[in-house]
Amino acid sequence: MANTKISLEYKDNIAYVGFGYNSEKSMTTLDVATMTELLSIVEEIQEKASGLKGVIFHSHKKDCFLAGADINLISSMTTESEAADKAEQGQNVYNKIEDLPIPTVVCVDGVCLGGGLELSLACKTIIASNSPKTTIGLPEVKLGLIPGFGGTYRLPKKIGLPNALDMILTGKTLRADKAKRMGLVAEVYPKENLLAMAQKFFDMKAPHHTLKESVKELATENFVTRKIIFQKVRESVLKKTNGFYQAPLKILDVMDSGMMKGRTSYLASEAQAFGELAISEQSKNLQHIYFMSEAVKKYTGPKGTKPLPELNRGAALGAGTMGGGIAWLMADAGMSPIMKDLTVDALNLGLKQSSQNFAGALKRKKISPDEFERKQRSITAQLDYSGFQKVDLVIEAVVENMDIKKKVFAETEKNVHRECLLTSNTSSLSVEEMSKALEFPGRFAGLHFFNPVHLMPLVEIIVHSKVEPETVEALYKWVLKTKKTPVVVKDGPGFLVNRILMPYLNEAGYLLEEGVSVKDIDQAALNFGMPMGPCRLLDEVGIDVAVKVAKVMYEGLGERAHPSKFSSKLAEKNFLGKKNSKGFYLYDEKGKVTGPNAEVEELLPKDKKKMSETDLQLRLFLPMINEAAAILKDGIVNTAGEIDLGLIFGIGFPPFRGGLLRYADSEGLDKILAALNNFSETVDKERYRPSAYLENLVESKTTFYEKTR
Amino acid sequence: MSMRDVYIVDGKRTPQAKAGLDLKDVQAPYLGAYLVKHLIDNTEIPTNMVDEVIMGNTGNPAKYPNIGRVIALEAGLHKKTSGYTVHRNCASGMEAVSQAFLKIACGRSDVIVAGGVESMSQMPLIYNKEMTALFAKLMKAKSMGEKLSALSSFRPNYLTPIIAIEQGLTDPFCGLNMGQTVELLAREFKITREEQDIFANTSHQKAVAAIKAGKFKDEILPIAVGGTLNKLLVDDVGPRDNSTVEGLAKMKPYFDKKSGTVTVGNSCPITDGGSALLFASEDAVKKYNLKPIAKMTDYHFHGLEPERMGMGPLVAMDGVMRRTNLTLSDFDLFELNEAFAAQILAVNMAFKDKSIAARFDVDKAWGEIDFSKLNVNGGAIALGHPVGSTGARLIVTLAHELKKRKGKYGIASLCIGGGQGGAVIIENLVR
Repeated sequence: MANTKISLEYKDNIAYVGFGYNSEKSMTTLDVATMTELLSIVEEIQEKASGLKGVIFHSHKKDCFLAGADINLISSMTTESEAADKAEQGQNVYNKIEDLPIPTVVCVDGVCLGGGLELSLACKTIIASNSPKTTIGLPEVKLGLIPGFGGTYRLPKKIGLPNALDMILTGKTLRADKAKRMGLVAEVYPKENLLAMAQKFFDMKAPHHTLKESVKELATENFVTRKIIFQKVRESVLKKTNGFYQAPLKILDVMDSGMMKGRTSYLASEAQAFGELAISEQSKNLQHIYFMSEAVKKYTGPKGTKPLPELNRGAALGAGTMGGGIAWLMADAGMSPIMKDLTVDALNLGLKQSSQNFAGALKRKKISPDEFERKQRSITAQLDYSGFQKVDLVIEAVVENMDIKKKVFAETEKNVHRECLLTSNTSSLSVEEMSKALEFPGRFAGLHFFNPVHLMPLVEIIVHSKVEPETVEALYKWVLKTKKTPVVVKDGPGFLVNRILMPYLNEAGYLLEEGVSVKDIDQAALNFGMPMGPCRLLDEVGIDVAVKVAKVMYEGLGERAHPSKFSSKLAEKNFLGKKNSKGFYLYDEKGKVTGPNAEVEELLPKDKKKMSETDLQLRLFLPMINEAAAILKDGIVNTAGEIDLGLIFGIGFPPFRGGLLRYADSEGLDKILAALNNFSETVDKERYRPSAYLENLVESKTTFYEKTR
Repeated sequence: MSMRDVYIVDGKRTPQAKAGLDLKDVQAPYLGAYLVKHLIDNTEIPTNMVDEVIMGNTGNPAKYPNIGRVIALEAGLHKKTSGYTVHRNCASGMEAVSQAFLKIACGRSDVIVAGGVESMSQMPLIYNKEMTALFAKLMKAKSMGEKLSALSSFRPNYLTPIIAIEQGLTDPFCGLNMGQTVELLAREFKITREEQDIFANTSHQKAVAAIKAGKFKDEILPIAVGGTLNKLLVDDVGPRDNSTVEGLAKMKPYFDKKSGTVTVGNSCPITDGGSALLFASEDAVKKYNLKPIAKMTDYHFHGLEPERMGMGPLVAMDGVMRRTNLTLSDFDLFELNEAFAAQILAVNMAFKDKSIAARFDVDKAWGEIDFSKLNVNGGAIALGHPVGSTGARLIVTLAHELKKRKGKYGIASLCIGGGQGGAVIIENLVR
């Protein structure tokens, strides 16, 4: 057999087409060679069709049917017509599969995404394994793309318009049982029986429609209701994305206008849209983030010689919001954690936090009631150090006070085994200083989670002069295992993310002092794509906490971090933000914003100042870019990619912009520098003084990404 | 055969709560699993080196046919850990402990966790015989006609449920329920209502004082409760600090409503709770650097007539004292389960009076239980009696209190529904 990517066998007059053949990679993707081979296989089957009972598509690879198109291929496309052309070639192969005059059954076991599902949709029957690894979906929209191999054409025909729109516009994946309930998959079997069962579907008549299905079809498949559905969905997409994302809107255009079209002209418009999106800046930005987050999955830092410590059991010190969140994370990862605090009331707070997180998963049916009980109960809430000798990883989240933390670590070290890693969730204190409290500082590092733990994917691993490489590598791998994104940073004020966040929050204070309204500031940030404006974010963080952190920054970074007085003024008047229901905004018991806080408005200057949105955005984001340059200069991290990933996963910097520094690079660093120089003259000399690092980049006509590649 | 020493490394229990209160939603295995996890976590014993988990339980939930095994797994022990459940009515927890003792003493095992759990809140209502038969007929029916015919035989009284807990507390052999057997003892030994109420009131006073003084801190492990498991229950729910003899006197007799003396107030309440003890051989103690708090000396179970089951402690303590050559004055503490006040008082009378003892085939008067050493932190009347757990719970409480008092020998004993008694002697090692 001449095939190298796909196997083709004939047995009992059945053609078996197997993907993932001869492949070393864990995931099979559709690259050029595979598509070419698939075309010739399909053509061969077409010729022999009269003598065949049917075709069965399957995979040789464990836990992967087809993971979709090769993203490297997509990212290498440079022109619209090139990308549209590639889509059309794929559509052609799939059309040929669809047009085969004999039964076609696809056996899905494991990942079946994007082009993999589109291939399946071209077959007459899809059956799937009940393995938990089986996930089915069209995630293209997450990369700013439209499914380009006929997915938007065939999926609505299979599962109805509303379900198809939901899957295509959110990019969400389905487990096999859900896919069956939706009608996407004809039947579900244990994976070992999948191939043997496939032939059963060769002479299967079209499924008999139940009355309910017929009524539903009648309701959704006519012209008027379809128009209404599209209108509603468009409204909801605009609301959810604030109109920032083009791909979902483009998808809606194609599907809406394609309603009356035949296959050929529909697919032509789908390919056209794919071409436009694939080379758009937005999609390239999203692909950039995808590649960065894939790259992060490999530890590339220094390696030690000792075996890595195994982190099986965990403990959280302190049962506040963070401690409870960390206990939740450990419990979810099966580490049966201990959560220790000084009082039963404090422990109850932590239990409440973890319970809320698990209850959310229960509500979304991610876990069963039994799993809820088991996981929540796997947290041992206690006041003493009993059982600590079995703990492999301690994460400390007690009050932000160096003396207390040092005392806690010295005490904890006496109660754990020699290989146990000790980490601090400090957000602002020096990890270098903290390490001095320990007899064996090599096993210690900062491990900074972001609030709320269950939603924020970033974890900063903060190193110090005595940390052992085994400690860093073990923590890195552990963070990945908990499905979070690690970034290794050096010790310094605010580490990575909070240091760049500081000017964002601080500048808002200065703008308020100048007479700009809370609403204008927050709106400008929202319109840039930030998930929250700086005032709203201050409420979330806690205004008193922000004041403390600002002080640390000022002490560490000097005049450019001189804190605005406005926040401390609020903190003094006990406007602490969400935690006591009043900050810049007012909150109800559930933590929902009920409106602006009139009392805070009164503290603002009487003379109001109007600024253009662009100017406001420059005021907020320029100092962030400038601080990021300083971070690279100080070697806190070494690449622009780490900074961008940190901000996207740590504070929700808008993904469609590809990251803060990618945004800066694309705007042009000379322009950024000029704007900074301008503000340093008109606003404040210190706060807008351009970093030498940035000046060097402009001088040498390079970019953040080129320089740090 | 020479027997090895058997060490109690540590023992823990849940706070106990009257059925229907704070622990009502906690399924039975979860009353034990966290205790087992804690006991092992707090030692150097690896989770794959526990030989066995043995748990007492009487109201076996349909969902968990073998609670002992479920607890071993939920506690995070290695999957190879053997686990099983034992049932000896009120002494199920003591039976579990005794089996652990034997297996270690004879050299079969080195590390065993034994205890008991009971969720009396979750004991079910059961369809009666008629309704069950109707369901069976329905399931066999093939045609619609057969189904209709089966359904038509339904009568409203088919829905009268059997209350599992009520049936469980009635002796199947003599037909009396537990309270009625104690009414019999009270009548025969002329134990007055007032004597019973005074005894019961003292139990509450001792328990309340113990809680206030933090006496249970070492033995209770707080447990997460509430619908979303977001709150710790730390103390026992049951002891009343406003209890008075006068108040107790106002309660109506429950088991003989017309002329009886046994009330809900001078009996133990239906309760949820769990307990567990970690047992180890001398080899294991050395291997894992364990610091045992006590040694288990011996145990004894003994039967008597079911209608006088309340005298169980007499025959069981008699048996274990004979085997160990100890006598009542050797014990620094007594933990006797207060199933009913009258029953404890009757047992003590038999210790004092040779002629009463003889009626239960005990051929000597052992003397007297020093009441100042009896249930010093209150007993089941105040703390409750989670049936499957109590036999082990008594030993947990006994071991910790002996340690605090630097005493030597302690004895735990209880009466067993169905006409038996059980007793365990331990020796404090922390003196």
